[in-house]
Amino acid sequence: MTVQQQMKRPAQAGRLPRDLAIGAVVLAFTAVTYWISFDIGEAPAALAQNVQPATFPRMVLAVIASLTVVMMALGLQHKDRARDFPKPVMLMTGALMVAFAIAFEAIGPLAAMTLFCVVMPLIWGAGKSAGLIAYALLFPFAIYMLFGVVLDVNFPPGLIINLLGKLF
Amino acid sequence: MDSFLLALAGFSDPYLLGIVILGTLGGVLVGAMPGLSSTMATALLLPFTLSMDPVPAIALLSALYCAGTFGGSITAILVNAPGAPPAAATAFDGYPLAQKGYAGKALGMAAVSSVIGGIFSIIVLIVAAPLLSRLAYNFGPPEYFALALFGLSMLATISGESAIKNLIGGAIGVLIATVGMDFTTGIERFTFGNWELSEGINFIPVMIGLFAGAEFIKQSGKLNEGRVAIALNAVRLPDWAEIKSCFGTIARSCGIGSFIGLLPAEGGTVAAMMGYNEAKRFAKDKSQFGKGDLRGIAGPEAANNAATGAAMVPTLALGIPGSATTAIILGALMAQGLRPGPHLFTEQPTLLYSIFLAMLIANLAFGLFGFFGAKLFARITLIPIQFLWPSVFILSCVGAYALNQSLLDVWTMIFAGLLGFGAQRYGFAAAPIIMGLILGGLVEGTLKQSLIIFDHQWTGFLGRPIVVTLLILTVLSVSLPLISEVRLRRRKAAAA
Repeated sequence: MTVQQQMKRPAQAGRLPRDLAIGAVVLAFTAVTYWISFDIGEAPAALAQNVQPATFPRMVLAVIASLTVVMMALGLQHKDRARDFPKPVMLMTGALMVAFAIAFEAIGPLAAMTLFCVVMPLIWGAGKSAGLIAYALLFPFAIYMLFGVVLDVNFPPGLIINLLGKLF
Repeated sequence: MDSFLLALAGFSDPYLLGIVILGTLGGVLVGAMPGLSSTMATALLLPFTLSMDPVPAIALLSALYCAGTFGGSITAILVNAPGAPPAAATAFDGYPLAQKGYAGKALGMAAVSSVIGGIFSIIVLIVAAPLLSRLAYNFGPPEYFALALFGLSMLATISGESAIKNLIGGAIGVLIATVGMDFTTGIERFTFGNWELSEGINFIPVMIGLFAGAEFIKQSGKLNEGRVAIALNAVRLPDWAEIKSCFGTIARSCGIGSFIGLLPAEGGTVAAMMGYNEAKRFAKDKSQFGKGDLRGIAGPEAANNAATGAAMVPTLALGIPGSATTAIILGALMAQGLRPGPHLFTEQPTLLYSIFLAMLIANLAFGLFGFFGAKLFARITLIPIQFLWPSVFILSCVGAYALNQSLLDVWTMIFAGLLGFGAQRYGFAAAPIIMGLILGGLVEGTLKQSLIIFDHQWTGFLGRPIVVTLLILTVLSVSLPLISEVRLRRRKAAAA
């Protein structure tokens, strides 16, 4: 089976009881968070007014766990509905979102936005056209000017601004 | 009266009036774009408003909220793709009517019923909000705790895949709100040594991520979806006989929408569905429903717009959001350094009147835009998705960064987007998480204060009638949808 075929295969179709898998994930999350809550420091009783800082988060975690168990119990008699594996383009979009944040820090916002405005439309199927070039040049610049000049937001200078600074 | 006149005088300033008209125009455009809801637009616009004064900032968001609700109906009618969830019911009859060549009539009826519903809801807001705030003056921490709990419990009844998943989502939101410094002891929780987290997770990037970030990934899966647009040659107002035939439906939907809007956590989507169902139930001749009945447009449109103003009542009077969008407006009020709740009515009366007036102007303006600009607004669907959504994502990231000029906010937004996408695939909606995040601090703070008042006796809550009433309502609002869900699943299992 090719990767492409695997991507198209419905995940969990009729195999697991409804909400069992997601319930297990939520329960694991609550267990780990509960364990992390032991790292929360304790305050002197007089300062904490008998309610330690970890008490409320633990109560909420207990509520989440209880509701999740009920959700899983309700789904036991039903098969989970078929879910297609996310399309490759969706996975790439998610990965590019993360890449954008890394680039924002590494090469600066203007360069990151310009790159994103070229790569993202191409991945989504836009043709290589003058429109794409105009979009990739004008939109990031407009956003940079709007936030940087009009709204006085301080951006890290980054690649393009440093380059322009050296040139002019 | 002085405050009202001051607020009215404020609108003689072209800047403020222009802001409201711009917000209305933006709201209609955003609402018309499938996938872009007024909730998302409000979240995206919030960072821009932080550099503005409170009155124009909140007036802009309120206008956008009102107009966005109506805007969704344009594409629901013309391209069978509801621009926003509250307009989904409008497509049931709007699109078939447009297919028959009566797109103008459908849009006209949507505009008329939306304006009537919207103005009715502002009257409800003007009357009910001060009354509720006066009642809330007597509320202490125990009452606020019970009220916030009731607000969270109402998540069980909002639209979504399942009541229990909405409750889990709300509780996860409350958990996220506990990140940062505990305000009574100053001890850090879940910060992992990151000093930027000690002030807690900023809710605005989370909102932007859950709505815009998650939708960005979802839209990438819809690249091949084609839409069949219907030519709109002229927008014709419905004639008097047609309005008269829908008047009962509009009146009923105004009541339904306002009631639903008043309930914490409920919003336009539930109101619209109920408005449609009731329009159909009360109709003597049901045969045309689903085929292009004007009452099938008037019902949901009047209801979802009637919910907008009403949803502002608990938001402004109690600080408990009436819907996902009002949760963001509540966040905007807090970001402006204002304290939503009964004190707002004594401390900021001019701001409140300005909100009322902004919403009124927005309702009248979107009615005009609807009549004269629908053909133009419908063209927004022609913007290539390959350029639109990357632009929305960049705006989301830069907007999140602009709040505190912190990269942590950009990461928070992206993480919330990825988490929101994953959660939505498994039936967890974004709105309950936002509600939990907004109400989390209130729940914890008032619980601690109440326990101090009651000398750490939990039974102390039972000695206060308002608290007991709210706790009973909480139990009912959690248990009734759960019971009906169990019965529905049993019925389905029996039928299978």
